[in-house]
Amino acid sequence: MTPATATLPPERPVFDRVRRLFGSQEAVLFLALILLFTIVGSYNERYVADRNLSSIFLGNAYIAVAAIGMSMVIISGNIDISVGSLIGVLATISGTLAVEGYGIVTAWVVPIICSVVFTSITGALVAYLRMPAIVVTLGMLSILKGGLISVTDGAWINNLPEGYGLAQLKPLGIPMPIYFMVVLTILAALWMRYTAAGRAIYAVGGNPEAARLSGISRERTIMMVFAVHGVFTGIAAVLFATQFQTIQSTVPPNLELIIITASVVGGVSILGGTGTVIGSTLAAILLAAIGSALIFIDVSAYWLRAVQGVLILLTVLADLERRRRQRKAL
Amino acid sequence: MTDATISTGQRLRRSLGSHEAILFVILVIALIVLDQLTDRFFTTSNLLNQGRLMTEVALVALPMTYIIITGGIDLSVGSTLGLCAIVLGVTWQNVGLPLELAVVVALATGALAGFMNGWFITRVRVPPLIMTLATLALYRGLAEGISEARSVRGYPEGFYILGQGEVLGVPTQLWILLVAMIVFWVVLEKTTFGRALYAIGHNETAARFSGIPVDRIKLIIYTASGLMAGLSAVIFVSRVTTTRSDMGTGLELDVIAAVVLGGTSIFGGVGTITGTIIGFVLIQLLKNGLALTGVKGDATIIVIGSVLILSILITTLLERRRSRD
Amino acid sequence: MEGGTPATAPILKLDGIAKSFPGVRALKGVSFEVRPGEVHALLGENGAGKSTLIKIISGVYQPDEGTIALDGRPARFASPQEAQAAGIATIYQELLLFPELSVAENIWMGHAPRGPFGTIDWAKARAKARELLESLDIHDLDVTRTVGSLSVGNRQRVEIAKALSHNARILIMDEPTAALTEHDVERLFGIVRRLRERGVGIIYISHRLEEIFTLADRVTVLRDGEYVATRDVKDITTDDLIAMMVGRRIEALFPKMEAKIGEPVLEVENLVRRPMTRGVSLTVRAGEIVGLAGLVGAGRSEFAQVIFGVTPAESGTIRIGGQPVRIRSTGEAKRHGIAYVPEDRGLQGLVRPMKILENASLAVLGRLSRNSFIDRKAERQLAVDAVRKFSIRASSVEQVVNELSGGNQQKVVLGKWLATQPRLLIMDEPTRGIDVGAKSEIHRLMSELAQQGLAILMISSELPEILGMSDRILVMRQGRIVAEFPRAEATQEKIAAAMMSDVPVAGAA
Repeated sequence: MTPATATLPPERPVFDRVRRLFGSQEAVLFLALILLFTIVGSYNERYVADRNLSSIFLGNAYIAVAAIGMSMVIISGNIDISVGSLIGVLATISGTLAVEGYGIVTAWVVPIICSVVFTSITGALVAYLRMPAIVVTLGMLSILKGGLISVTDGAWINNLPEGYGLAQLKPLGIPMPIYFMVVLTILAALWMRYTAAGRAIYAVGGNPEAARLSGISRERTIMMVFAVHGVFTGIAAVLFATQFQTIQSTVPPNLELIIITASVVGGVSILGGTGTVIGSTLAAILLAAIGSALIFIDVSAYWLRAVQGVLILLTVLADLERRRRQRKAL
Repeated sequence: MTDATISTGQRLRRSLGSHEAILFVILVIALIVLDQLTDRFFTTSNLLNQGRLMTEVALVALPMTYIIITGGIDLSVGSTLGLCAIVLGVTWQNVGLPLELAVVVALATGALAGFMNGWFITRVRVPPLIMTLATLALYRGLAEGISEARSVRGYPEGFYILGQGEVLGVPTQLWILLVAMIVFWVVLEKTTFGRALYAIGHNETAARFSGIPVDRIKLIIYTASGLMAGLSAVIFVSRVTTTRSDMGTGLELDVIAAVVLGGTSIFGGVGTITGTIIGFVLIQLLKNGLALTGVKGDATIIVIGSVLILSILITTLLERRRSRD
Repeated sequence: MEGGTPATAPILKLDGIAKSFPGVRALKGVSFEVRPGEVHALLGENGAGKSTLIKIISGVYQPDEGTIALDGRPARFASPQEAQAAGIATIYQELLLFPELSVAENIWMGHAPRGPFGTIDWAKARAKARELLESLDIHDLDVTRTVGSLSVGNRQRVEIAKALSHNARILIMDEPTAALTEHDVERLFGIVRRLRERGVGIIYISHRLEEIFTLADRVTVLRDGEYVATRDVKDITTDDLIAMMVGRRIEALFPKMEAKIGEPVLEVENLVRRPMTRGVSLTVRAGEIVGLAGLVGAGRSEFAQVIFGVTPAESGTIRIGGQPVRIRSTGEAKRHGIAYVPEDRGLQGLVRPMKILENASLAVLGRLSRNSFIDRKAERQLAVDAVRKFSIRASSVEQVVNELSGGNQQKVVLGKWLATQPRLLIMDEPTRGIDVGAKSEIHRLMSELAQQGLAILMISSELPEILGMSDRILVMRQGRIVAEFPRAEATQEKIAAAMMSDVPVAGAA
């Protein structure tokens, strides 16, 4: 061996790959989830009972779906803090259409279209006018939230028509939102991994200059990311709207933060360029499962959010430590 | 060559100035229009009262300007405010401390909350957005846990001077805000500390390599952010005469909107206290003026969102056109 | 003549190229051509127009005037993609790779082989990436490794493979050896020769004249945006080239002057900071310039940053002027009279969007302020003095540093640190990426500073610079000092041998 290469660490492809698999954020999340179910389940059986499990998944699948789009946005080096308000607005649109008798399918589809139109406007401002995403979406948040309150005054939408409850369907005994969550996660993961468009998202987020010189258009990629994000947000909103017999036409408090947290805990780097949608879905489930677990181990409901905060912090710290160790091992 | 470089330098300075100028023009137009629409707007008592309502956001926006100039962010300010308000109420009513001492404990809690953010950001190198996202949940959670959703009322009469009283005909808290604005302005414009903030925002590594104590400075500004949130909490409680665990929810967005509207770049390195002041004044006056002209309370935030996007958009477009010339 | 056959028609021919930017005329009447199988060097000081010219060739800019002909037919590249499609690939100075992606993914970014349904066929991509690398005689690079984990030399090989994946017929290499170790440079030369044999035309940009003489067939010199001449390398000398570049003959590249060597300023014993500093002992005296040679990755900059408190030492002793000191931060290092002119000007040395004024005062803000209020007058005076003293070419001290040339930026860094009135000056690659004129000015400054009694520790990867400037030369390898030569005994061969020896360093982990 020549002297310079002798100082480099040996390249061990198989070892590398195994370590990559077990050292991945997805694996950590998955293990944490299994551990949580086992430990809390042995303490209180009702935690792992069908009813509780399905309420964990059912009530939070829409967050996982929204977190897929959010992960893409963050991987591309942007962020969308208007997503919570958008979901509130879209749910209201969906409910109103249903109540006004435009037909159930219309009530399901139109919000998704509105969502894409809306996130595309955001995307255009970010991509073509080069405004920082956090600022644009901060403005959008105010516009959406204010618009919603001034139009509806926070009223409840009742008397939703028969058959509107998409999220309440249970084909083969499994709630509909779980199908959506699983299928959309898999599709998105494949799309991100195996298509040129998917790879372009990582490229633009990781090294925009290099992406440009590789013939990848930053503008088009960001535009596309926001449009795709709109699709997921739209679907999430429909799932959210159809889960109960009524829709409260307000913005669910802190929803954008819950969604961003799921993405970040799922291993999406806030600096862009890395992360996967499988991680964000697992994280969304984990966060919901933790919340539910606290109730079953008799933590006072008042302390729920505090414990959740500590756990988010711990996850982030563990992830930082893992990345640091990986870098050292190289 | 030299000609071109001079003009880029001037261009840069001009465009910095221009954001504040644009804002100022918007502010003046807004004042004129609102004055035309309602005669209850441009009255001394209304304007002073708006100052009262503005103070809580304004006090937190000052340290937030510093933090955003260094390229960081603090999303936990609203939760910190909630936590401090609860600590104030609980130490006074449940623990039985004298109110003065309870106020000190509340302020210390705020400083500690900010210090914890700063410590993790500098020592463990957690990105600020993530760290403060986590403490946004944590501090609010602590507030809920400690208070168990009970509110605290019945503070002694003297305490309300802070939030409802007047000194020389001007609301008490506006004096506090005035002092804070001057201090934050002077520190940023005139001192080595302020210069270091800009240097860190533009290039943290070079600042570190120049012997600037980057970590200590960051620790100070995040602690200041928590402390000011604590101060806001005390004033808030005094103004509304009650303590609830959901106080300050969403405050972070109002604060960031004011700072960004004021021309501070979210990418770091650029921003002024003057801009931030115009930012929060503009937001409050728009809210109030629209409310007076009959727009429903919460709907006014539509206008704020639009103004935020438009002002940044105009600045971006102008800058672009100039660099093309 | 090896390689290129002069008779062949050029692949690419540029004629009368002009390009202006607002207020600046970057190029005027420039002609340039590349033949298949030749290495054509492009030479000129910084700001001579080399970057603009290659950006025109690679489609980033469009010329205002002049013609481009590809295979004798007029061509126009509206974007980098069009140039790429025409077979022109560029390897930029700052390697443009995605650190999180694998070697194969990087190579095929943007044009990966597709499977059915338009998805990327990764198995095929990996196999073809391996083929490409092997055709370049690179057998030790795993295509599934992430690029972030590779050495700079390996990253560059990935860049070259990426260029070839576009079937490049013309390869533009912008300062390819700037960040490479001697060994990697040798390998790069091997790869370039291999490409030449295949008939690829190579445009080679470098500041290092010796590289041009080893590698290039022809050389074209630009000066102030204008075409000077194109010559066969075998017909010219170094002095000719320098004269063509600067328009005047520089008598000596390194005007080292004798200085009186005094008491030790810095004494380091067995300094450890893992993983890169593994027990370093050395002494630098007042008035002495100590050259620290070594390959990139030998731990020289890391050692300097231990002394400077960026990464404090784990064990060992540091004495400044005979007094043992502990240095735990850059602020403490500064207070002990240590100054560090870092390797990476843009990242570590300067706050580029800030003015000269603000950069010059950044390290001495404490001294320039009363009760932490900055004394603006004193600050301005400091900057004005620095601009005058180091003849920094700038419109005013209000100018933003980003707009200065590399050499002038380096002088601002130097001025900033000399304002701290240091006793020890550590200079890390003081003249990297700086044109010849500015380079000799910086060397003259170093010499003068040593004469005034400053102790200087100079880290450099350019052996002529080490030999020309140092009173004493230390060689570092694997985090330790492995050899020492007094000025009189040092030769390029001895130093290179010590740098590259593969005898394991005693005790090194």
